[in-house]
Amino acid sequence: MQQHPMVAILRRLGAFILVLVALSVMIFILARVVPGDPARMALGPAASQAQVAQLRAEMGMNDPLLSQYLHYAWNAVHGDFGMSLVSQRPVTQDLAETVPATVELVLASVIFMFAVAIPLGVLTAQYRDRWVDVLGRLISLTGVTIPSFLVAISLQLLAARFWPSWPILGRLDHGLNFHGGPTGFMLIDGVLAWRWDVVASAAQHLILPAFALSIAGIGQITRITRAAMLENQRKDHVLTLKSFGVPERVIVFRYLLKLSSIAPVTIMGLEFASLIGNAFVIEMIFSWGGFASYGLEAILHKDLNAVSAVVLVSGLFFIVANLIVDVVITLLDPRQRQKGGR
Amino acid sequence: MSDAKMLLDASDREMSAAYMMWYRYSRKPAAVIGTLIVLSAIAMAVFAPWIAPHPKDVGTVVNFRARHHAPELAHLFGTDQVGRDILSRALFGMRVSLLLVLGVLGISVPVGTVLGLVAGYFGGWVERVITGLTNVMLAMPPLVLALAVSNLLEPTLTNAMLAITLQWWTWHARLIYAVSKSVAAEDYIEAARLSGAGPLHILFREILPNCVSVISVKTTLDAAFVILLGATLSFLGFGVKPPTPDLGSMVAAGRQFMPDYWGEVLCPGAAVLYVTLGFNLLGDGLRDMFDVES
Repeated sequence: MQQHPMVAILRRLGAFILVLVALSVMIFILARVVPGDPARMALGPAASQAQVAQLRAEMGMNDPLLSQYLHYAWNAVHGDFGMSLVSQRPVTQDLAETVPATVELVLASVIFMFAVAIPLGVLTAQYRDRWVDVLGRLISLTGVTIPSFLVAISLQLLAARFWPSWPILGRLDHGLNFHGGPTGFMLIDGVLAWRWDVVASAAQHLILPAFALSIAGIGQITRITRAAMLENQRKDHVLTLKSFGVPERVIVFRYLLKLSSIAPVTIMGLEFASLIGNAFVIEMIFSWGGFASYGLEAILHKDLNAVSAVVLVSGLFFIVANLIVDVVITLLDPRQRQKGGR
Repeated sequence: MSDAKMLLDASDREMSAAYMMWYRYSRKPAAVIGTLIVLSAIAMAVFAPWIAPHPKDVGTVVNFRARHHAPELAHLFGTDQVGRDILSRALFGMRVSLLLVLGVLGISVPVGTVLGLVAGYFGGWVERVITGLTNVMLAMPPLVLALAVSNLLEPTLTNAMLAITLQWWTWHARLIYAVSKSVAAEDYIEAARLSGAGPLHILFREILPNCVSVISVKTTLDAAFVILLGATLSFLGFGVKPPTPDLGSMVAAGRQFMPDYWGEVLCPGAAVLYVTLGFNLLGDGLRDMFDVES
């Protein structure tokens, strides 16, 4: 019995690898059907026809498509996505420098989401149809419908108006003379370097963008939590607890909450796709300089190698997030643990 | 109308399903407000040339003397950096948003529905191919894919539409697949098959009617997401070409003059919020009305 969750997770992992392979095929095809010759773009308009032809041969572009794809996949598995046209450096190196910033931002906003949405969902369900519920539903409706760029800009406006010293751009004060550390996470690097001023500044810079990024998820998760709480309140075992005179507080926090957090965690996994998408907007508005900013720049300059790496890594984010979600759900939900054994 | 009155009414008329639905709908203020907002947005988009106070400002008009006006009687939303009326441009911008919705959902809803029906009813390798394809597409953040595709081709409205559609059908296919698969196991489907109904009849006359409520709820809620996605794309500079007004690119333009002329950001932004709010309220209302599980 103990092994079964592991087996289930391994099976999911296998499925995810298949998804990743299919995704890479799609991106490869996408990059080939694009109008314009990568060799011509790399050399510029001044290059002669012969030079372009030579580079095409060097890039392997005259080979059959299948062998081109295998070559591409082989390199990608080894972490080689080719050179970026814009930065003139290996794409992998660019990614290694930018991805941690985005992960830091996304993790912070996931923490915000659960910290705000779960209590709000519980509150609105407990005080159904009272003013707390109406207010909470209004907040979640607004969260779902408001464009994230509008939230981000409004936050910047409010900060500029009411708290001019609060930082609204970048990840750190330039004056601190700190240039990152081994992990790339500003908060952790600050702790490692024993620089509490860096940690404080990084946290200050992180709050607004992380909050702006979390708004959509807060709306979604509050709704789901509320619906799950309401549904589970009617279940027989909860009624049994009530009739035994178990205090409301214990029922809600010990029994209902765990049961009702399965649905929001599941949704979180799907939410990740739009979370990564919104990170592109938020990073641009707050000059965050992470992976999404890099991706946006690459797309603007039609930097094919960088674009396909960015698309692939975005998909990877989603897949990893969903693997984690699967594990968390297995831990939360005893029914999932039993499934394999039957 | 009270419940008793409704019952009386219904005894005259046959208590049709449509009447019950209308009754449930009319008792939901959120659904009614949502409908009104959506209808008003559509009206604004359709009649934009006639109701816009300064229809000329939609094109390449420059009036530097009137630039950055705060909201006033002549310009309810103020004017932008070259003196064009923001309200007029926002009204025309609604057209772009709603056209995008029409284009994306007009293709992806039928395609997704048919593929979902087929996958759920036939099963076997058809099911495996279609669900596998949806799993791959869903792993891609919609915005990232749309950005990449539309810019690698050429950043125009049509390409943005294409790029979003490329992925959007999968959500519908998955949803309809689930319904179709559960319905396909029902006895009356078997009965229809035994009495000689062809696959086309079963798919579209027996299974499809079961999906109507799910499709309409999903489509309405999707309209809001597509508008958000479109506005975000054009905010990032991947939408329509500059002289054409678009809500997302208006926000982006206003952002350059931000702390001082904040109305230029918030007014077009509020217009996006207005439309998405309407579709969301309507979708939630429809869900209650059809009693669909989310």
